[in-house]
Amino acid sequence: MIRSVAYSRAILAGMAGAVAWEITARLLIWAGVPFFDLVMTLGTLTLPNASPGVSWLAGMAVHLLVGAIWAVFYAYFFWSVLPLRPVFQGMAFAFVPMPLAILIMHPQFDLMHPLIQSGQWPSSGLFGLSGGVHEPLSIGAGHLIWGSVLGLLYTRPVGYPTNRPPHLSKRPARARPLISSAAAPSDHRFMFATGIECSYPTLEDGRWRMDQMAACGHYRYWRTDLQLVRDLGLRYLRYGPPLHLIYRGPGQYDWNFLDEVSAEMHRLGIVPIMDLCHFGLPDWLQNFQNPEVPQALADYARALAQRYPWVRFYTPVNEMYVCAKLSALEGLWNEQCRDERAFVTAVRHLAKASVLMMQAIATERPDAVFVNSESGEFYQPCCPDPKIRRIAAFENERRFLPLDLLYARPVHEDTRAYLDQHGMPNEEYAWFMQQDVRQRSILGVDYYEWNEKLIDSNGQAQALGELFGWYAIAGQYYRRYRRPMMHTETNRMDARDGPRWLWRQWHNVELIRQTGVPVVGFTWYSLTDQVDWDIALREPLGTVNPVGLFDLNRDPRMVGLAYQHLVRLFGSELGKALTIEEVLARASQTAIWEARRHHA
Amino acid sequence: MLRMLQAHGLDAGPTQRPIAAGAIAGTVATVPALAVLIGFQSLDAPARAIGTTALAASLAYTGLMLLGGMLYGWLFQRAANDPRGGWLFGMAFGFVLWMLGPIPLLQWLPDQPILRGYPAAGLLLAQLLWGLALGLVFPLIHRHLHTGLEIRPGSESRSTGPEAAVQTHVLRPLPSSRQPPP
Repeated sequence: MIRSVAYSRAILAGMAGAVAWEITARLLIWAGVPFFDLVMTLGTLTLPNASPGVSWLAGMAVHLLVGAIWAVFYAYFFWSVLPLRPVFQGMAFAFVPMPLAILIMHPQFDLMHPLIQSGQWPSSGLFGLSGGVHEPLSIGAGHLIWGSVLGLLYTRPVGYPTNRPPHLSKRPARARPLISSAAAPSDHRFMFATGIECSYPTLEDGRWRMDQMAACGHYRYWRTDLQLVRDLGLRYLRYGPPLHLIYRGPGQYDWNFLDEVSAEMHRLGIVPIMDLCHFGLPDWLQNFQNPEVPQALADYARALAQRYPWVRFYTPVNEMYVCAKLSALEGLWNEQCRDERAFVTAVRHLAKASVLMMQAIATERPDAVFVNSESGEFYQPCCPDPKIRRIAAFENERRFLPLDLLYARPVHEDTRAYLDQHGMPNEEYAWFMQQDVRQRSILGVDYYEWNEKLIDSNGQAQALGELFGWYAIAGQYYRRYRRPMMHTETNRMDARDGPRWLWRQWHNVELIRQTGVPVVGFTWYSLTDQVDWDIALREPLGTVNPVGLFDLNRDPRMVGLAYQHLVRLFGSELGKALTIEEVLARASQTAIWEARRHHA
Repeated sequence: MLRMLQAHGLDAGPTQRPIAAGAIAGTVATVPALAVLIGFQSLDAPARAIGTTALAASLAYTGLMLLGGMLYGWLFQRAANDPRGGWLFGMAFGFVLWMLGPIPLLQWLPDQPILRGYPAAGLLLAQLLWGLALGLVFPLIHRHLHTGLEIRPGSESRSTGPEAAVQTHVLRPLPSSRQPPP
C-alpha cells in the first residue's frame, strides 16, 4: 500500500462530483446551451429501448459508478502529490480522465451505441470532433466540475475528529484480563525488540486526531501483528496502548481492547514494553500545558499496573524532548504553541508525569523496569561564528533538559537561567532534584537519519544525516546519565536501504558494548510501515512510509528478513549476556561508587 | 520514476513471487472475461478478420491475458497484494490494456472498425471484468505462493545478512579497495 485511503470518503466525493456535473449539464441543456448529454448517452447505451426516465436512471448509475472509481484512483495515486489546495488538486487530476473520455471513450461509445449504429443518432467521428467542438468542450468542462468537487471533498484521509473516536471492541470488559500459561522468558537478558507505531497527537487546535494505530490498521489486524512479532523470532515489543481511547475521564478506563491484546501477548509469550504516553493525551486532558496532566497520567499508570500485574517493562512517557518541541516550540501537535515558555511548561509537565508514573508503577510492582526512551539528538555548529556556536551549545544542552529533570541531574547554569526565565519555579526545580527514580531505569536512545543537525550560518537547524552515528550520540547520553542503555528506535525511509541501515545500527550497538557501555536491547521501529512520519505527522495526508519490518498488507519487507537474520546470528551469544537485573544492579553500584568519589 | 517507486517500497521482496502470481491470476481472471466475450459475440469478428475460429481466438486471448497478468505482477509488485486496492489496480490495468491493445488493433488500424455494437461493448466489459477479477484474486493467490519467513542460502542472504551493511546501490559508488588509486 502506498497510500492510506479513506474509501467511503473517496467514493462519496467522486459521486458528488458526478452529481455536480449532471446538475450543471441538465441546467445548461434545459437553457438551450449545446452541451454533451453524457448521462443520457450512457443510459441509452445501456438500455436503448427504455423510456427516457429509465434511461436517465441507468445512465446516472453508470455515471456515479465511474465517478466513484476514478475518485478512488485519485485517492490512491494523486491526492497530495501536487503542492496545491485540494480543490485545485482535484481539478488537475481531472486532466487524467478528460483526454481518455474525449479521445477514446466517446468515439468508442459511438461504435458500441445501438442507436448510432442503426443511424438513428449521428456519430461523433473517430475522435469525437465531427459534431463540432462543443462536445469535447462540454466533456472537458464536466470533468473540471467533477474534479473540483472531488478535490474539495476528499481531504484528510487518515485520523478522525477528536469527538468521534473509533470503537475498538464491543466485548464487555472482564473483571480481570484472561491470563493463560505464559511462555515468556523468566529472566530477561538482551532484548531484540520491535514496536507497534502508536503516536496519537492532535492537530488543528485539538479537533483532529492522528492515530497511527488506526492509520496502520493495527486495530483491525492486531492479532496478525502480534503473530508476526513471534514469526520473526522476537519476544520484546514496544507497545503503546491507545491512551486517548482507554482513559475516558478521571477514574474511568475502557480496558476492553487492551484486555484482549494483552491476553494474546501473554499467550504468545510476547514481553511488552508498555509505552503509556506517546505524543498525545485524551481529549479531556487537552494538552501538555495543562498542569493536571502529571497527576492524571500517574493515576493512569497505577491503574494499568494494577490491571496487568504481569507487565514488567514500562516506558512512562515516550521521547519527552520531541513531544515538547513539536507540541510547544514548533507548533505542530497538541497545544501547537511556538514559544519558549510553552516549551518549558510542556517539559516540566512531561518530566513530572514521568517521575510520578514511575513512582506509581513502582508502588504496584517494585520490580518494574523502566525504559525511558528519548530521541538521541545532536547539533553541530557550521562555522566558528561565536553566535552559531552559542546556538549549538544551547541546543546541545536543551536536548538533555527533560532527562536532566527526570534523573535529577543538575542542569547547566545557562539552562537553569533559561528555565527560570520561562516560568519554572525554584521549588519545582528543587522537587525534581530531590526525586530518585533512576534505580530501575534503562535509558533508551532513539536514532534516525535526521537526528543530527547542523546549525547553519543563519542559525537554523538543518538535518545532517548520519554524521557521527548512534555510537557517538548515545555515548554522550551515557556519559551524562550512566544508565544501562537500549537502542529503542530506528528505521529508514528508503525501503531499499533498510537492511544496510539495520546492520550499521547494529554495529554501532556492538561497538559501544565493547567499550563497556551496558546496552541491553535493540529495536527496529516499527513492525509495520507508518503513515505521514515523513512530514512529522503535521498533516493527515495518508502517505505510507515504507519503514516497517512488514508493509501495511503485512507482507515482509527485506529489512524484516534482515532483522530475523540478525537475531538468529547474535541471539544465542547475547542469550548468555548479563540479565537485566544484573545490569541494573551493576549500574546502581557504579552510581554509588561515583557519588562517593564525587563527594570525596 | 521506477527508482522512486522502489524507494517507496514497492519492490516485492524475497518472499514474494509477483510474476507467478500474476500469471495464475491472469489466467483465472480469463474465465469470467471469456464468458462475457462469448455472450456478446465479441470474438467472432476478430476471428473472421484473421481467418481463424472463435475457439482459437479464445485460446489466443487466454494466452495474452496470461502475459497480461505477468505484466501486472511485474509492474505493481507489492502494491498488487493490497486486498483493499487490488480491485482498482486490476480494473485500471484491464482498462489500460483495452486502450493500448484492442482499440488500436481492432478499431483504429483497420480501414473500418472491426467491432461495432454489442460485440464492441462486450470487449470493454470483458477487459474491465478481467482486470477486476485479476486484482481481486491476485492477493489471494499470492498468499499461497509466498515462501516462508525462513532464511535461505544464496543471494537472498546477501541482501539481508551482514554483508548488507556494505550495500551501496543506493549511494554514490565507493572506490574499490582492491584497486590502487590512479
